[in-house]
Amino acid sequence: MQFRHEQLPNGLDIVAEVSEAAHSASLGFFVKTGARDEYDAISGASHFLEHMVFKGTDTLSAEDINLRFDFMGASANAFTSEEDTVYYAAVLPEKQHAALELLSAMMRPALREDDFVTEKQVILEEIKMYDDQPPFGADDRCRALFFQDHPLARSVLGSTSSIEALDVEAMREYHQQRYSSDNLVLAASGAVDFESLIKSAHQLCGEWKPSPPSNRKVQFASTKSGIVTDVITREQAALEYAVRMSPGPAEDTDDRFAAKLLAVVLGDDSGSRLYWDLVDSGQAEHAACHHHDFLDAGVFVTQLSCEPETTHALLDRIVEIYQGAENGLSNNEVDQARNKLLSRVVLAGERPRQRLFSLGLEWAHLGQYRSVPDDLATLDKISREDLHRILAEWHLPASASTVLAGPLLNDSTST
Amino acid sequence: MKQTLQTVTLDNGIILLGEFLPGVESVSVSLHVAAGSLCDSLATRDTGRSCCGLATLAGELMLRGAGDRDSKQLVAALDNAGVQWSQSVSMSHGSFAGAMVSRQLPDSLKIYADILRRPLLDQHQFDPARQVVLQNLAGTEDDPTHRTMLTLRKAHYPSPWGLPSEGTSTDVTELSHTDVKNFVTTFIQPQDMIISVAGRLDWPEFVKQIEVLFSDWQGQPPNQISVGERGEKICHVPYDSQQTHIALAWDVPPYRDPDSLQATAALAVLGGGSSSRLFTEVREKRGLCYSVSAGYQTQRDLAAAMAYSGTTADRAQETLDVMLHEIAALPGTITEDELDRVKARAKSGLVMQQESTAARAGAMARQWFHLGRIRTLAEDLERLDELSVESIENWLAKNPLKEITTVSLGRDPLEVPDAVSP
Repeated sequence: MQFRHEQLPNGLDIVAEVSEAAHSASLGFFVKTGARDEYDAISGASHFLEHMVFKGTDTLSAEDINLRFDFMGASANAFTSEEDTVYYAAVLPEKQHAALELLSAMMRPALREDDFVTEKQVILEEIKMYDDQPPFGADDRCRALFFQDHPLARSVLGSTSSIEALDVEAMREYHQQRYSSDNLVLAASGAVDFESLIKSAHQLCGEWKPSPPSNRKVQFASTKSGIVTDVITREQAALEYAVRMSPGPAEDTDDRFAAKLLAVVLGDDSGSRLYWDLVDSGQAEHAACHHHDFLDAGVFVTQLSCEPETTHALLDRIVEIYQGAENGLSNNEVDQARNKLLSRVVLAGERPRQRLFSLGLEWAHLGQYRSVPDDLATLDKISREDLHRILAEWHLPASASTVLAGPLLNDSTST
Repeated sequence: MKQTLQTVTLDNGIILLGEFLPGVESVSVSLHVAAGSLCDSLATRDTGRSCCGLATLAGELMLRGAGDRDSKQLVAALDNAGVQWSQSVSMSHGSFAGAMVSRQLPDSLKIYADILRRPLLDQHQFDPARQVVLQNLAGTEDDPTHRTMLTLRKAHYPSPWGLPSEGTSTDVTELSHTDVKNFVTTFIQPQDMIISVAGRLDWPEFVKQIEVLFSDWQGQPPNQISVGERGEKICHVPYDSQQTHIALAWDVPPYRDPDSLQATAALAVLGGGSSSRLFTEVREKRGLCYSVSAGYQTQRDLAAAMAYSGTTADRAQETLDVMLHEIAALPGTITEDELDRVKARAKSGLVMQQESTAARAGAMARQWFHLGRIRTLAEDLERLDELSVESIENWLAKNPLKEITTVSLGRDPLEVPDAVSP
């Protein structure tokens, strides 16, 4: 694997991890924009714009884009999160230029009014689809409670009313502001011809204009979150779904790696403390803990699904499990979790499509490259004491926001 | 691209499949024993009680301790070896799989041999194991898409193919520890078991180790599944949701039928990519839904095309009408361009499969199960190259679509026309 980086005069960063053994090349534009960059009147605009990018340019229709991707046999898609909007395509190496040509054209969409009206219906369908599915909006509600007035409180999808009220002019303005050359990263992984990639990028993206620098970071005072509980009642649901958030390390500190290892010890899908206590015993359908890091904040997210009447007892039990972890972790469980993560890093390293996201997001957020050996070395260095320090510093049992969704009624939550 | 494919059949009927993949450090192994959920129906016949979910419960209990390791020690051993492991039950197979750095393969094979040959089936683990299966079933109750597809399978396939692999809560509640022990004794047998391995691999060493671990194991599972009735052709499940979920199924040839390539190519034109007819007409032009697709689901002897969409209740009828229209309009209208796109997507998929040891091990096992052999990548690509619009149209003309099973889940039932016409 070889890492390459180049910057165009207009500030567009191009990064690649070239692997001679790969059979395919993956390419992606990582736009440094997401729900956190929105304000009330354009809530959901980043995600809606992601859909509109597939609706065509001044010279290409939506159908043209779909046809071209399918003609090149591309596996192409996009996603939007709180902080990023990512467009990607995995293709056979000989299609590298064609894929970049299409993806780069899409970054300058036409945003036509009639497409906007049709696609608005698709977005509204997507909102309804998620609203019908577990955890029935508990994740969005919990994020809003936990982050309060911080930009990370915003919903990626937006709401039915915010999407209905959005007009195409506001989206054009948002695109103008956020899709400037220096706010995008072009990343590539796998069987990439880097020289040709740079040449194509100069030709296809060289005319894009940069924008004045902006600061996206906003200090997050996690102490303001306090203990907040809310309930979304869905009478016909079979299970109760709980989402719990408590503060953790942000991405600008090396503690993010220890936090991820800690989350595997506490709440990986199998073999973790939550798993043995709640899932293996058949008390919960699902119980897991993950650590997510953002530009200026971090969060430990605990998810639980179980029979409604057991929810409060199991949430209390989770707090006890976290308290138990504060009393000390064993070397064996830390090593077991580490071995799992090491293996995941090695296996993901063999798949260009998975490496693309690590590569692009790391550069978009921190302007740095981390190789597979870097990740392995970092994991190897984390000690049990590091995890104890994280536990002491972030004190998982306290200061959490919790939202339940399911048959329970709001008045049954007064714990 | 030079390919190294290996196959060996042991005297006891275990089939070993292997492919060395250059440029990777990992290896993936998958073990498929002929103890899938179709065997639930044989247990039903033998016990006189409906046993839907028994194979799934057996799989859950088998992982809870084997050989000289208890449940926790077993998971710790796999995790410490860095094995990304999984266990699943399909209609035909109970499957255990693992992906790992290649030096861990010998140790992990010993663990898998213990799971298959020496599961503890600890009585104390039975209640929690059953509880896990019941929790999972309760979880699927809350997933409207999953419920829709389960209803479609039940309506379209003859019994027992239409029964849910994960079981039903009524049946699982009644299953006993003895039921599971009998199931394991009867159905977990070496005959027809497939062990597939792909990645950084020393094939002779692998075969030698498998012989040590498995060659003294003898037995054959019973295999006389009787074909039962199909369900209702039109079915509505009342459900208080914002979206109405629509699912359609019709018969197509199984994978081992030489015509399956024509059928799956036609299906890909209909609903296989973002330029497919369903995606274009239902989502792109009309904005009726977020998701719409059509796919192929094959068993060894029967297969179905299945199409799905989820949409707001008041637009569900239009969505169904457009979907049915597009299905009926397919014969006689497939273009060269459409076939070129299907071929390009299939070709990319085949080549990219070579990048994932887990995908490759799984694909080889599936191909062996359906065909009794593994095709090389070159052979698969050649078959694609030879596919023509004419051959697909000929197949469509000879096999006109007679009947579509239609399932909806949502507030109101939909009107399903008697005849399908373009």
